Amino acid sequence: MKKDKVVAMLLAGGQGSRLKLLTKNIAKPAVPFGGKYRIIDFALSNATNSGIRDIGILTQYKPFELNTHIGIGGTWDFDRNTGGLRILPPFMSEDGGRWYTGTANAIYENIDFVDNLDPEFVLILSGDHIYKMDYNELINNHRLNSSDVTIAVREVPWEQASRFGIVNVDQNHRIVEFSEKPEMPKNNMASMGIYVFNWKKLKSYLIQDAKNPDSVHDFGKNVLPLMLREGLKMHVYVFNGYWKDVGTVDSYWQSNMDLLDENNTLDLYDKNWRIYTRNKNLPPQYIAKGSVVNNSMINEGCVIEGEVHNSIIFSGVHIQRDAKVSNSVILSNARISPNVRVDHCVVLEDVLIHEGVKVGSSTNKDILIIDKDIE
Amino acid sequence: MERCLGVVSYTNMDKEFGILCKNRSSYMLPFGGRYRIVDFALSNMVNHNIRTVSVYTGEKVRSALDHLGNGKPWELNRRINGLFIFPPQYDDERKPMGDIYQYHKTEDFFLRAKEDYIYIVNPNIIGKYDLTSAFRYFRETDSDITLIYKDTTCNNGDNIGTHNMVLDQEGNFKNIGVNLGTKNKFRMFLDTGFVKKKVFLEIVRKTIETGEDLDFRQAVLKYKDQYKINAYEFKGHIENIRDIKSYFNSNMNLLNNEIFKELFFEGGPIYTKSKDEPSTLYTNESRVENSLIANGCIIKGRVENSIIFRGVKIGENTVVRNSIIMQKSEVLEETVLVDTILDKYVKIGEGVNLIGSKSLPYIVEKNAVEDREWC
Repeated sequence: MKKDKVVAMLLAGGQGSRLKLLTKNIAKPAVPFGGKYRIIDFALSNATNSGIRDIGILTQYKPFELNTHIGIGGTWDFDRNTGGLRILPPFMSEDGGRWYTGTANAIYENIDFVDNLDPEFVLILSGDHIYKMDYNELINNHRLNSSDVTIAVREVPWEQASRFGIVNVDQNHRIVEFSEKPEMPKNNMASMGIYVFNWKKLKSYLIQDAKNPDSVHDFGKNVLPLMLREGLKMHVYVFNGYWKDVGTVDSYWQSNMDLLDENNTLDLYDKNWRIYTRNKNLPPQYIAKGSVVNNSMINEGCVIEGEVHNSIIFSGVHIQRDAKVSNSVILSNARISPNVRVDHCVVLEDVLIHEGVKVGSSTNKDILIIDKDIE
Repeated sequence: MERCLGVVSYTNMDKEFGILCKNRSSYMLPFGGRYRIVDFALSNMVNHNIRTVSVYTGEKVRSALDHLGNGKPWELNRRINGLFIFPPQYDDERKPMGDIYQYHKTEDFFLRAKEDYIYIVNPNIIGKYDLTSAFRYFRETDSDITLIYKDTTCNNGDNIGTHNMVLDQEGNFKNIGVNLGTKNKFRMFLDTGFVKKKVFLEIVRKTIETGEDLDFRQAVLKYKDQYKINAYEFKGHIENIRDIKSYFNSNMNLLNNEIFKELFFEGGPIYTKSKDEPSTLYTNESRVENSLIANGCIIKGRVENSIIFRGVKIGENTVVRNSIIMQKSEVLEETVLVDTILDKYVKIGEGVNLIGSKSLPYIVEKNAVEDREWC
C-alpha cells in the first residue's frame, strides 16, 4: 500500500486578537474548548486519524503553553521513529532572521524542511478551527481530479456569504474565480483555509510570491489568486460537517454551547473519530447531594455542590453550595464560592469568585470574560 | 528510594469475587470510576521514586497485559529499569500456588537489578502509603524486614479474617495471626513492607530447597527468628478489598469526601490508562446526587450514591441507586437498578428492574444483555 507522501503544515501562530482576554497569554490554537480540549487538538486529531505521519507546526505568537501542550506529540501518536511531529518556530540563518509575515511566508521560510521530506502533496491546515475531517477524502479528491490545488470549502447561508472568501466554480468543481467578501455573491461556497498542493508547484509559486514586494504573502490574498491567473488546475472539495472558526468571544461561547445539544454534528462521543488531548490524571467528577446539574458538560476532577445550568465546566472546577452557574463556560481549576451567581460568562483558569458575588446576567448582550479573582 | 525495587505480588483471591473475576485477576477489578485496583500500588511506588517495578500477574494475564502495556501511564516505560511483567511459570509435573515459587523462577531479575532493597505490596490493599518515610525507618533501624501495619477497629466484624500483627509491649514484632474479631482494636498487617534483597533471596532459596509451597509472607514467619524484623505503623486510610462485599463498600467509601481527597490527591496523583473520552453530558432530565461520574458518559436519568465508569449511558426515567456501573455499559429507559454491579459492556434493556442488597449486590457479568422478556 504505497501512497503518495503527504506532509501536513499546521499554521498555529495566530494571535486571535478578537478573542480578547482569552488570548492574552496564549496563542489562539491553545485556547481551551469543549470541556477538556484546546482548539488545536481538533486539527491534530484529524491528522492522526487520517493517517498522516509527518506534520510541521508553525508557531509564532506566545508559543509557551502551546509548546507545552504539544510536547513531542505523543498524545496524537506523532512520537514516531521516523517522521512525526516537529514544531517550526521562526529562526535565524546566515542572511538574518525574520518573523513569519503571512501564511504563505511561513511555509516559504520552511521550504527546506518540506524538501527534506520530499512529499508529493502538502496539506495546509489551520490550528484555529473546530471540525472533524478525514483529510484522505480531500487528498483523494485532489488525486482524482489530477489537480494542482484543492481547496476545502463549505456551504454557508446565502445571507452570510458576503462575510467570507467565496470560491466560484464551474460544473466540474473547477475554480474559476475568487471573490473576497463579495457584496453580491454568485455562490455560497466559502474557503475553510484548508488546502492541498502539489509540493513542486507550490514551492515555485512561493518563491515567485516572495519576490513580489507588493504581496502580503497570504495564501488567500496572494498565492491562490496568482495560481489561478497563471491557469493552474484548481478544484474545490465540499465539506458538509460541523466547522467553526471561533473568531470572537461570542462565537467562542456559542460554539461551546453547541455541544450541549446531544445531536450536535460535531459528536465528540464518536468512538471512530476521537479527539485527543493531554491527559491530566484527575479522578472522576463528584456530584454532591443537593446539587443540580442540568443540560451541561462536566469534566474530570470537578466537585459540584451547587447548581449548574446550560454550561461547560472544565477539569478541576469547584462549584460550592448555593452557587448557581448558568449559560457559562468555566475553565480549569476555577473556584466558585457559595451564593455566587454566574450567568453568560467565560471564567478563565484558576479564577476565584468570592462568596456572594454576582457576575453577568441573562439580559447581557455580550459575554463577560472573568480573568481575575472577584471579591 | 532509587535503591529500592518494587514488587506487586500476586494474591490468589479471584474465587472470592465470583463472575467479576471470571476472566480477570482481582487486582485488575475496575475501581473508583476510571481506575483498576492495581493503579494505586503502581502510582504510589512511582510517586515515591521507585523506578523498577515487577508485576506478578497470576494466570489470568490478558486483562493485566492490556492495561499495563509498557507502563507508560506510570512513566515506567524507561530505557533503564521500568516495568517488568511476570506471568506465572511452572514445571511440567508440579504447579505450586505460593508466590515464592514464582520469585524463584524470576531470580535472575533480582540478581541483575542494581537495587539492594525490595518493596513488596499486595495491590488489593489500597492506601497512600508514605513509602519514603517507611523506607527511611527500614534503613535507619537497619532491619532485614520491615512490615507495615495499621491500627484498626473491628466493631462490625468487617475485618474478621484479615491479618493480625502481634507486637510485644515494647512494640517489637512477634508474629502474624488472623483477626477473629474478639477485640475492638487490632493491628492489621497490610501485607506490604520492605526487605533486604539478600534476605529475600535467602528466604526464597531456603523455601525452595525444603520443597515447601509457601507465600512469601508465610516463609517470613517460618524463618522469623533468624532475621531482624520490625513493624512500621501506617496512619492513613486503607481499603482492604478481599471479597465482593468489601469491593462494593470500598467503592462506595469514595463518596466520602475525606477518603476521596486522601486517596486521589494526597501524596501524588493516581495514574491510569487514558481513554480519551470527552466530558460527561447531563441533560435537562438528569438528576444526580452524591455520585462519582467518570468522563464520556451521557446521563439522562437519575443517579444516586453510585460510581459510574467511563463511557456509560443512562437512559431517561431510569433510576440508578447505590450501584457500580463499569465502563461502556448502557442502561436504557425506565429501568431501576439498586445495589447492583454492572460489569463492562453490559446492556440493560428498557423497563428492567434489578435489585440487589448491600451485603450481596446483584452482579451482571461482562458483555451480558438483560432484557425484560428474560426476567
